[in-house]
Amino acid sequence: METFINPKSLFHLLLLPCLLLYSSIAYNSSPVEAAMHTNNWAVLVCTSRFWFNYRHMANTLSLYRTVKRLGIPDERIILMLADDMACNTRNKYPAQVFNNENHRLNLYGDNVEVDYRGYEVTVENFLRVLTGRHETAVPRSKRLLSDEGSHILLYMTGHGGDEFLKFQDSEELQSHDLADAVKQMKEKHRFKELLIMVDTCQAATLFNQFQSPGVLAIGSSMKGENSYSHHLDSDVGVSVVDRFTYYTLAFFERLNIYDNASLSSLFSSYNPSLLMSTAYYRKDLYKRRLEEVPVTNFFGSVMETIHTDAAYKALSRRNSGRFEDEMSLDQSVHHIERRMLIKVNDGDEIHDINPEGEEGACKCPWSTFRNKFQKAENVDSLVNYGLVAMIPLLVISTWLVQ
Amino acid sequence: MVLLQRPHILLLLIDTHQFLQCWIAFGSANEEGQQQEEFSEELLVKPLPDHKLLAHFHFQSSAPPSTSNGCHHHLFPKAISQLVQKFRVKEMELSFTQGRWNYESWGGFDPISSSNAKPPGVELWAVFDVPQHHIDASWKNLTHTLSGLFCASINFLESTATYSTPEWSFPPASGNVRYGTFPCEAVCTENLTPWLRLLPCRDKAGIALLLDRPSLYRGFYHSQRLHLTSTESSSEGIDSGIILEQTLTVVLQPNSERAIEVHASEKHVQPSWSLSSIFGKQVSGRCVLAKSSSVYLLLDRGLVAELKFPNKENGKSAANGLTSENFWSNPSFELSVNPDRIFLEESSSHSKSLSILYMFQVEKYSESEPFDIGLMWKVPVAWLCQQTPLHASRFLMGSGNERGAIAISLKSTQFTEGFMSANSKDGSCELRVDVFQVVPWYVKVYFHSLRVFVDQQPRAVSDFIEKIHVSPSKDKMSPGVMEVVLKLPCRVNTAALTIEFDKGFLRIDEYPPDANQGFDIPSAIISFPNFHASMVFLEDDSLNRSPLLSKFQDKCPVMSYTEVLLVPLTTPDFSMPYNVSTIKCTVFALYFGSLLNVLQRRVAEEERFLKAKAAKKTGRLPLLLSKLSAKLRGSGINQD
Repeated sequence: METFINPKSLFHLLLLPCLLLYSSIAYNSSPVEAAMHTNNWAVLVCTSRFWFNYRHMANTLSLYRTVKRLGIPDERIILMLADDMACNTRNKYPAQVFNNENHRLNLYGDNVEVDYRGYEVTVENFLRVLTGRHETAVPRSKRLLSDEGSHILLYMTGHGGDEFLKFQDSEELQSHDLADAVKQMKEKHRFKELLIMVDTCQAATLFNQFQSPGVLAIGSSMKGENSYSHHLDSDVGVSVVDRFTYYTLAFFERLNIYDNASLSSLFSSYNPSLLMSTAYYRKDLYKRRLEEVPVTNFFGSVMETIHTDAAYKALSRRNSGRFEDEMSLDQSVHHIERRMLIKVNDGDEIHDINPEGEEGACKCPWSTFRNKFQKAENVDSLVNYGLVAMIPLLVISTWLVQ
Repeated sequence: MVLLQRPHILLLLIDTHQFLQCWIAFGSANEEGQQQEEFSEELLVKPLPDHKLLAHFHFQSSAPPSTSNGCHHHLFPKAISQLVQKFRVKEMELSFTQGRWNYESWGGFDPISSSNAKPPGVELWAVFDVPQHHIDASWKNLTHTLSGLFCASINFLESTATYSTPEWSFPPASGNVRYGTFPCEAVCTENLTPWLRLLPCRDKAGIALLLDRPSLYRGFYHSQRLHLTSTESSSEGIDSGIILEQTLTVVLQPNSERAIEVHASEKHVQPSWSLSSIFGKQVSGRCVLAKSSSVYLLLDRGLVAELKFPNKENGKSAANGLTSENFWSNPSFELSVNPDRIFLEESSSHSKSLSILYMFQVEKYSESEPFDIGLMWKVPVAWLCQQTPLHASRFLMGSGNERGAIAISLKSTQFTEGFMSANSKDGSCELRVDVFQVVPWYVKVYFHSLRVFVDQQPRAVSDFIEKIHVSPSKDKMSPGVMEVVLKLPCRVNTAALTIEFDKGFLRIDEYPPDANQGFDIPSAIISFPNFHASMVFLEDDSLNRSPLLSKFQDKCPVMSYTEVLLVPLTTPDFSMPYNVSTIKCTVFALYFGSLLNVLQRRVAEEERFLKAKAAKKTGRLPLLLSKLSAKLRGSGINQD
């Protein structure tokens, strides 16, 4: 069969890349995405009451210490602790909280600032903090005063289950509630990027309902799995830290504020056999490549310095440099792709609860295409790929005409 | 050349130095006319009879009523002055307390115990200088602001069901006062840190350096208090002078290791201590911003009487002249540092012996030579602290989840006996006792059931109650308040008030997460308005008076708080609503589903329909295939 290119199909061939280019430029110029990274916030929540949940408070305080050490100031940290462990009468070490049995590090220190504590830690208050719908009398220190350029770290720990997280043994935060709150936050321009880190049983199920762009979520365990505590301190009498948080901290203890460790290196540092659960992360709503995002993007407060020749030029410069990121987002939003950290040997056990399984084969060519798409350095290669993609269409149309 | 030039430079330096000094002196003299902001730090240490030690930190900052510097402050915390200006607070007291003051062994008749022994949890009262209808709004905003400032859940006091309006029994008797307590609030480091941030030197220098968190919270009792009074300046109503008084009272156990070492025979020897052994830290110099910085050691009246100073009778002259060595080289104890001054109490009306105060100036010490006092006991001593006229305690009566009764019992102490014997010449001696009790609305108190027992005999209420004010509780709206003035005969041994209550029901969302623990009834305040706990010390210079000592001179009525009561309420099974609704839905679905099925099904028609369907079904697939093939063939023909 000889190939015959008629002028009609040639026109089609030229039109397609043009359309593609146009759409990506149009997306790029949308005003919402114009915000620069302005500041970092952290919302750290311990939802468990009672002494035997000491480890949850230690988890939260460890994260509090880490983000403070990496540069987020106290006024931009909302710390919610459901119970008082430090001055609890059962605590042998008053005003001290430890997350390791070697007792080398007092997490409570002299400078801890707890914003919500005790009975105040409720689902209502939590959602109020996220969405910013407070009573007028509520002081600034209890509000999340983030803006459209904020990167927010939301850390939650407690007892959870399939698509819920218990608050104080009396209330539940459903995954729908959380997704709605995040959606509202997005609509109110309360964040640019949001990292949700959850250390509970079946933490991954809490992320199922998210739809808002810019959300990255990591949980300590998959559906049907439990998250376990790390070790017991026989002096304190209870377990003092959870596994997921323990290994998160182990990762962060090596870092300082100037380190460039990427989020993917954090996410790949979780070893399922040490965790006794499978850390799961959902990144389909997050546009940037995790290899390029430093952990201090969320866990620290490192501002990007832009050198400008004149004042007030920074914004326009950044926009032009963003071109490639936007295109990859274009694709990834529509084609839900979830990755997880599963070792090959225990892969088939979890496979049936794996959302990847549902999408099955249709995902593979898309992902390869996407990967190639991302690698496309400039418009020339884009056109080349467009041409290649047009070949089967061309063949079919010529065959049909004959 | 260089050598020649040097003296000149030196001279120049000296000159400028002198000039600077003059200038500073001039500046301070200039500002003397209008008062300056002042800050003073003091610590009072007092051994307690039960082998414990009381440490009382007193920090006072004051801002003068000035219009010149507007909202700017040198030393005074801005957060507080803004709060005062915004909410027009005339007087306010906020206390965070953990533990219970032991009135029996730690005393109840001295200025520290009557103004610094506080109920557990948070207590807040405030007097506002706003119109009557704005007070509740101001109170609400104040509680929220304080909760943000001190990292506490004080904002729970915003709802009308938690705070009350005492009419006259509460000390700052005035209609604009609001009073609220939150007994179950935890107190920890996060409350102390913002409190310390109000100090000009924080906990980085001066006496506050001693406040090591673990050793503080290891104590038996700690109460952190913030009291502010704003005085309207006469010229202008808006600006006001503010006095902020921050006290921290802790009861600690001096080093327990040494107590173990002590032999069984020396059981009564008080433990020796030093500041560094209690707090694990030393004071390295004063806070440079403080006007005065001093540490006091107070020996109680009872202890002084027990120690029997050799020249007790002519002690006054000795204290004035500072000639006698006897006060710190007493045979029964030894001080590690010689005191700078000694104060003797002026004759008190209620006790024969007088207390002694040793004063230590922190100014003299520095980083290289830190300040640390220690007290070594050589002989065993036992004494008693002066107690309240009547010892008050409160308890619950009755059993079951339906009803109960609250009883407040007053027992005479050794003090009353002494008082009675002193006043025995006139037969009609009366003891006035004010009782202020707030009860949350879910404890429904029947005020008609108030009964009085005097010396274990039921007596007519009208015989002993002089004045009573009751505001009954409204469900979910306001708590019940009872203010009673009792007039008891002086020789009373015991007196008791009982009042019955029903336990109310709460809605399921009103229960706290740990409802099974029970619900707290805040402490009752028992005050004795005829008795004033004051200590007047002889001071030669009244100009340089220390704020702590002048505070001791204030005639505040003797006050004590009763225990917090824990009322178990009937708590529902919190998972029950889910169970009920699940079961209900299942039953409904099963019942209505089957009912509708039975009602709507027409058996004969259905069978016919099924038959027809079965007949159709056999031919469907081949039909489809044949249709398809026909179409294909047809299209082929067409194309050709």
